[in-house]
Amino acid sequence: MPEVIVPIGPHHPALKEPVNFKVIADGEKIIRLDLDLSYSHRGIEKAAEQRDFIRVLPLLERVCGICSHSHTTVFAKGIEELMQLEIPLRAQYVRTIIAELERMHSHLLWLGVAAHEIGFNTLFMWTWRDREAVQDTLEEMSGNRVHYGMNEVGGVRRDLTPEQVNAALARLPQLEERVKKYIDMVNNQKTLLVRFRGIGKLSKEEALKYGAVGPTARASGVDYDARRDDPYLVYADIPWNVVTDTNGDVYGRTRVRIGELMESIRIVRFCLENLPEGQIRVNAPKTAPKGEILSRYEAPRGELVHFIRTNGTDKVERVDIRTPTLANWTSVAMCLVNQNLADIPVIVAAIDPCLSCTSRIAVVDNHTRRAGVITLDELRKRSRARFQRLE
Amino acid sequence: MSVLAEMFFNLLSKPFTILYPKEKVPIPGAFRGRITISDEKCIGCSKCSLVCPAQVITMVQNEREIEFKDKTIKRKKKPQVKLFKCIRCGLCERHCPTGAIYLKNELSDSGTDREVVVT
Amino acid sequence: MTDALLLLVYILLFPGFFFLFVYALFLSYLDRKIVARMQSRVGPPFYQPFADLIKMLGKEVIDPDGVDRQVFNTIPLVALAAVMTAYLYVPVTGYSPLAFQGDLVVVLYLMAIPTFSLFLLGWLSRNIFSAIGGIRAVTQLFIYEVPFFLALLTPAIMAGTWSISEIVAWQQHNIWLVFLQPIGFIVALIGLQAKLERTPFDIPEAETEIVAGSWTELTGRRLAFMHLTTEISLVVGSALIAALFLGGPMLPWALSPLWLNGVAGFCLFLFKTLAVLLVLSSIKVATGRIRIDQLNEIGWKYIASAAMVQVGIVLVINYLRVIP
Repeated sequence: MPEVIVPIGPHHPALKEPVNFKVIADGEKIIRLDLDLSYSHRGIEKAAEQRDFIRVLPLLERVCGICSHSHTTVFAKGIEELMQLEIPLRAQYVRTIIAELERMHSHLLWLGVAAHEIGFNTLFMWTWRDREAVQDTLEEMSGNRVHYGMNEVGGVRRDLTPEQVNAALARLPQLEERVKKYIDMVNNQKTLLVRFRGIGKLSKEEALKYGAVGPTARASGVDYDARRDDPYLVYADIPWNVVTDTNGDVYGRTRVRIGELMESIRIVRFCLENLPEGQIRVNAPKTAPKGEILSRYEAPRGELVHFIRTNGTDKVERVDIRTPTLANWTSVAMCLVNQNLADIPVIVAAIDPCLSCTSRIAVVDNHTRRAGVITLDELRKRSRARFQRLE
Repeated sequence: MSVLAEMFFNLLSKPFTILYPKEKVPIPGAFRGRITISDEKCIGCSKCSLVCPAQVITMVQNEREIEFKDKTIKRKKKPQVKLFKCIRCGLCERHCPTGAIYLKNELSDSGTDREVVVT
Repeated sequence: MTDALLLLVYILLFPGFFFLFVYALFLSYLDRKIVARMQSRVGPPFYQPFADLIKMLGKEVIDPDGVDRQVFNTIPLVALAAVMTAYLYVPVTGYSPLAFQGDLVVVLYLMAIPTFSLFLLGWLSRNIFSAIGGIRAVTQLFIYEVPFFLALLTPAIMAGTWSISEIVAWQQHNIWLVFLQPIGFIVALIGLQAKLERTPFDIPEAETEIVAGSWTELTGRRLAFMHLTTEISLVVGSALIAALFLGGPMLPWALSPLWLNGVAGFCLFLFKTLAVLLVLSSIKVATGRIRIDQLNEIGWKYIASAAMVQVGIVLVINYLRVIP
């Protein structure tokens, strides 16, 4: 067959959220692809400039459903650092517990979705059944299965009662058993191995060159984890390990994520058993002093960065969100070339894409009535042209 | 191998599905459900309306004498919430000084009128 | 006269087309129920496939731009007619009254027609996903058809006849062929899974890669008939394997009243096809989809060579005249 354009997206059963891959394929081999990420743009960064610190947190929570706690924690952490506010230890433990529970539910969700992308629906059903234990725990602690609303500037909104702690601790052993079974399945199930091994390989140099973050980079041997290298909350004080792998392909990313699942279970158990007594929040001032801060956090998908600029009022002047999925898209575009058409869903699912996180920028051309994204070279060209006009 | 063993074990045991509406999931006590206003406690300070991120709380005229901290306050207004537009974040409950507005652990059910209000 | 009337009843009612529809819908329900229970879900109620059929028949038929309407209307009917005809030669309650020498070959060719219809439908819908799906369907047909035919040939070689009903009779006098040809049985099961385009071989209709493959542009009546074709292929395929390897609807001894023989044979038929369905559903649940080039590799390396080994063994056994 000659070259054809296979439109994967914006509506496609393989994608959970709209993204446009215009794949140019020759038979089953991919030659190149064009990527358009701007479909879920909602103008959140602009809306955040008009809300004060109490009302902006629910807005930022709704950037993404699966990593909602990550966005509120990293923002609250940044503002607290600008205000030079020290939050009590119990609040930090509660934030850590919710963060690790969120990582667990996100990785279990990812395992099911990756199995669904290769047609292995059985593992999809089983992992999502076990995910219900984590969701029940989160619902008991925070009141809702997604969008937990636990954070506020100055601490945590709700406390954990002893019944909630005991109920959560009671669910952990069975979850650990199930995760061990999934480790066994991933290492031995033939169709999983045949579809995951050798697909979407990224060497360590390529991972660093294209800016991959999170489990995608850790699977290629890049030993970077924001929890250890830029510690926040209580990660510096409790025993835990960073999980890396040397395979670099989708199989390696699966192993990293399952390893992180086991680590998260251990962290949650440690924090629940050693929860210190004390206050859960301090009174935060209404305004933040003028300043800029770059706040980093290890979301389930990788390193999440919020750049916050304040100007002495009770609102932020600018918040810039760089999500981990945005950093990982280049590596996907690069490692999809020369792969099989049938591997597109697997490779795309391997970075755990969250498009609602990613769509932070879109270029809308009013004259030609088109919207899309532009490349860095075109951005440079346009900005040079604009500055030349100004001179 | 473990896949096969688990498949046949599942075939002979009860499915995990909860057959709603015959069986129901127990709702935990801390669940953030339907927004409710308690008329006897509200002092009309408007904090809930200022804090609401979705801006669905409006204050309407309503006069009543309320006992608050051993004083009798004459309130002038009370909140009115659009039930189905509330995002159930709980900020109003967190910032209310008297505990008059809160999220019950019942479900909000569903309806067809987006502007229906609860007072 | 009564002969012709009985033949008409056989073809149209029982065990003819009416029973075929009922049984196809029942096996489709059982398949979905077993798969669901293995995955720890509930599964559909027993009337679900029937309700699906009625619903699809009533839906609007959408013609994409530039597509030939008459051909699109005819192809599903041709596929349905082919598998329904193939069913008539499979023994259900004893020998099929339409049996003749060579009906095994006819059944196998008729069962390949739905795959060609899917390819045609994929090629004629002006849709890139359907084209890819159609090409994959035909590629898959190339890969599994050789071992599947060989594995279903070896019972004929051993029994010395080309008629399915006579192979069943041979097994009644000797022993079930699954004990003499286990490799052939396994290859036949894998080939049947590939013919029915079920996981791990549902490459032509891979939902997450090419939307629905050739099925993308089928709507309304066309979809209902193609779906019914798939369900009937399941019945015909399992009945064929039950007849060729598991002894078909025949007891090893004959019971005295003739009608009791027929009823016992029918119950055996049900039991054996359900056993084959259980194996096929278990394969479907336990695996994920493989790629077409990986199927190419394992198809020619392992499955085709296993089938040829089986043929070799049967020829050697026949030559040594071990079995009379």
